[in-house]
Amino acid sequence: MATDEREGGSDRIETVEADDVDAADILGSAIERQEDPSLLTGEAEYTDDIQLPEMTHMAMLRSQYAHARLADIDTSEAEEMEGVVAVFTAEDLDVSGALPVGWDLDSLRNVDNPIMVEDRIRYQGDVLALVVAEERYQAHDALDAVDVEYERLEAVTDPSDALAEDAPVIHEEEGTNEAFDWDIGDADDTEAALEAADNVVELDVTNQLLIPNAIEPRAVVADYDPSDDLLDVQMTTQNPHVHRLLMAGVIDHPEHRMRVRAPDVGGGFGSKIHHYADEALVSWAAKQVERPVKWQATRTESYLTDAQGRGHETHGEIAVDDDGTIRGLYVDTKANLGAYLSTFSPSIPTYLYGTLLSGQYEIDNIYCEVTGAYTNVVPVDAYRGAGRPEASFIIERLVNRAADAVDMDPAEIRKKNFLDPDDFPYETPVAMEYDSGDYHKTLERAMEAVGYDEFRERQEQAREEGRYLGIGFSCYIEACGIAPSELVGELGAGAGLWESGLVRFTPSGTVRAMSGSSGHGQGHDTTFSQILANELGVDYDDIEVVEGDTDAIPQGMGTYGSRSAAVGGSALVESARKVVEKARKIAAHQLEADPEDVEFEAGEFQVAGAPDRSTSIQDVSLEAYLAHDIPDDMEPGLEATTFYDPSNFVFPFGTHVAVVEVDPDTGEVAFEDYVAVDDVGNQINPKIVEGQIHGGIAQGVGQALFEGAEYDDNGQLVTGSMQDYAVPKSFHVPEMETESTVTPSPENPLGVKGVGEAGTIAAPQAIVNAVVDALEPLGVDHIEMPLTNERVWRAAGGGDD
Amino acid sequence: MEFSGTVSIDGTTTEEVWLALSDPVMIKQALPGCQFLVECEDEDPDFDALAASAPEEDPPTLPEASAEDIAERAFEEGGHYAALMEISVGSVSPSFETVVTIEEREFPRMHAAGEGSASSSSFEMSSGMELAESEDGVDVEWWAEADVFGRVAQMGQRVINPVANRVVGRFFDQVEKQLQDVSTDSESSGGLRSRVSSLF
Repeated sequence: MATDEREGGSDRIETVEADDVDAADILGSAIERQEDPSLLTGEAEYTDDIQLPEMTHMAMLRSQYAHARLADIDTSEAEEMEGVVAVFTAEDLDVSGALPVGWDLDSLRNVDNPIMVEDRIRYQGDVLALVVAEERYQAHDALDAVDVEYERLEAVTDPSDALAEDAPVIHEEEGTNEAFDWDIGDADDTEAALEAADNVVELDVTNQLLIPNAIEPRAVVADYDPSDDLLDVQMTTQNPHVHRLLMAGVIDHPEHRMRVRAPDVGGGFGSKIHHYADEALVSWAAKQVERPVKWQATRTESYLTDAQGRGHETHGEIAVDDDGTIRGLYVDTKANLGAYLSTFSPSIPTYLYGTLLSGQYEIDNIYCEVTGAYTNVVPVDAYRGAGRPEASFIIERLVNRAADAVDMDPAEIRKKNFLDPDDFPYETPVAMEYDSGDYHKTLERAMEAVGYDEFRERQEQAREEGRYLGIGFSCYIEACGIAPSELVGELGAGAGLWESGLVRFTPSGTVRAMSGSSGHGQGHDTTFSQILANELGVDYDDIEVVEGDTDAIPQGMGTYGSRSAAVGGSALVESARKVVEKARKIAAHQLEADPEDVEFEAGEFQVAGAPDRSTSIQDVSLEAYLAHDIPDDMEPGLEATTFYDPSNFVFPFGTHVAVVEVDPDTGEVAFEDYVAVDDVGNQINPKIVEGQIHGGIAQGVGQALFEGAEYDDNGQLVTGSMQDYAVPKSFHVPEMETESTVTPSPENPLGVKGVGEAGTIAAPQAIVNAVVDALEPLGVDHIEMPLTNERVWRAAGGGDD
Repeated sequence: MEFSGTVSIDGTTTEEVWLALSDPVMIKQALPGCQFLVECEDEDPDFDALAASAPEEDPPTLPEASAEDIAERAFEEGGHYAALMEISVGSVSPSFETVVTIEEREFPRMHAAGEGSASSSSFEMSSGMELAESEDGVDVEWWAEADVFGRVAQMGQRVINPVANRVVGRFFDQVEKQLQDVSTDSESSGGLRSRVSSLF
């Protein structure tokens, strides 16, 4: 696959106004995001901005303890309080009320996940009671008046501890905390490869639990109309149709009498994919009180309930010959699943993790075992990157260790083991078929940008002066746009992973497009309009993109896993092409030509060789709706719907390089440089690509240096607010130099891959490798994330005496 | 969570400090936010009844009270004590219904364990202290191990530690102040210190 290079990528990309872009260049231009004015002026309507007549407010009582028996609960005092409309406990539930899990594994021990607990409390976010009141403060005040008697039980929060013999069992009926035992690759061959290799290097790492931190905490407004049994739910969701389907089963409400809408949604990073108890309870409560009910999570509440990410304890072994050839890789991971299975949690530490362990390398033998563990922490599920950052982290740390073991340069060992451009398509030992790539190119571009050879000289010099500079590489691969549906079904998915797209001309020639993707900050209105302007040849401003409404959109699977452009965008392309074909027939009919002789370019149909015989697609639209003069066998109207099911994943890749200076006396890590060379395929809007890379790296910096959900021995979340959970501030995030190579994906009509997660997947190991490289003279060979000042200082020998 | 420290109280004796710290009334007065502190029969008292029956005015403490009165009401090993503690932590002011059991009480060492629960938070703790004579008076070495649950725990150590330090700090400041009153008083009357000493 040929690789094009975009020149001048290292400079900040300047945005342009759509009006200033030639129609032919609309795809690939850095058009200003049309979403931003309303977001920046406060005009955007988030869930909590919604006001409905007679609306009530709901608050939920969660548990003081992470693990306990609910001995007794008395709500009588709360019920008497001013403004309280109703108080409910599990006893009042008249619906099935069990949250489903959307991914099965052969060995999976699925457990009951009730929306309110009756008996056993398994994490602090479990709901014990809910209060509906006239005002929000009244609902919260009433929670304090609910009298709960607990019998506290011993808690366990780490997966290894939970899998130990004497651990408290969280789901007693299972008799064990082991949720599943999964493996991929060939155990025997890998063992033999490890035995035969010149060297085997081991590494134990903890990939810590992370809290997603969307800027808008989750929220729901539900309104029930008893006269026609219609339930209208507006909520913070990344996938309204999936929420409608799952919630219909949980609260026993017919799916066709439910509408789920996503108003403006302030970020998600995965945390708004999953179906939580909260939205089911708000919707159920709205049916009980027959008034609109609103619930808005507080920041601490979202820390206690939003599915967390990562949570791996991993032992890795890499086999490497003295010449630097990697012979095999063995990975054993204990994955924290939290108290219950969240919507897609079984897939994250398995199929989205083990299958990526080949990285960018030709490794003939790989074997990975993963044991999932129930613990008393918040359920763990997809968080930006979801499985792939954990895979990339262990490989890229092990490759660095392997380089040390054979005394080879970390860039050289990577080059030696890279897949070459002519190896594609390449089937890994862990069941992936990579479609395309040029890994040498991204690494070499990054080395050039960072001035690698010069850096090593500078590093040497600095060491002589007692300063510690380090450089870290991260050559990552990710798999996104997870597909096709038949395959994911075989792997255990309870859903198809196609996307729908409807393209509809109005009679006046403008376009409304509906996508089952559901953007929540990514700029879909802009990018999808660019795609359609390019396909249809109509003005960018004549296109309106509609997302996030189950009543307006045929069906949808939503936005996560960097799938919106590759899958949702492709669905729109296919529909646009269907519309053009229909319009071509109408145009041919009216121009009295054979459709095969009618060419379409820049929105104009023209009879080949006869430039005066032409009509625009916008004029054809009116004809299609007038239907006075269209082909005999044709239905009126001009629209088309596509359910696009890709043939494979897409595989973005790249190299990130961090250059740091570490002060061993204080443990501080200062960035000197950060270079990202990413290949995300064709770019619809380079400014949006750049923004996604920047944001992704910021979150990767967060994991590397600052973030981590900490629980005490009793399972209490002690990082319960931003005072104790450190999200990186702007001054923590380095200046970044971003560049791209472009290897179009052969899998979809746009040639796009995915960019939403790339930065988060790539950044952590670049930074950790850099810090370890800096402190190598002090004998440091690993530091666990987050690399807090204290950990770095201790690793560098601080506090030894 | 673990806390510990040493508080120095000048111009006093271990016996005086022991006596002061044995007095539930003085402890109640010294503890910030303590609504009442009374002996109870078991570990599960009825706080509403205790609140209703708690005396509106505290009986006198040292130096007005007699050492014998204090010895009479002093904490007993194996005894249970109920306290209502209102503590402001960040944005919340939970009232903890607290029950403390004196597990060990032998001069100069005391060890107590307790639990407190409020509507949204609770704690379990084990604490102890030991008195030692110093050049200028008495060093009180104290330690506490606490497990905190619920809303207060979520605020994290950055919020909880200063609160704990403030409570302990104010407590010992108050104890020190009262003991200084005692010393001043005993210097003028000349009798209390010897009366206190005679109790040991």
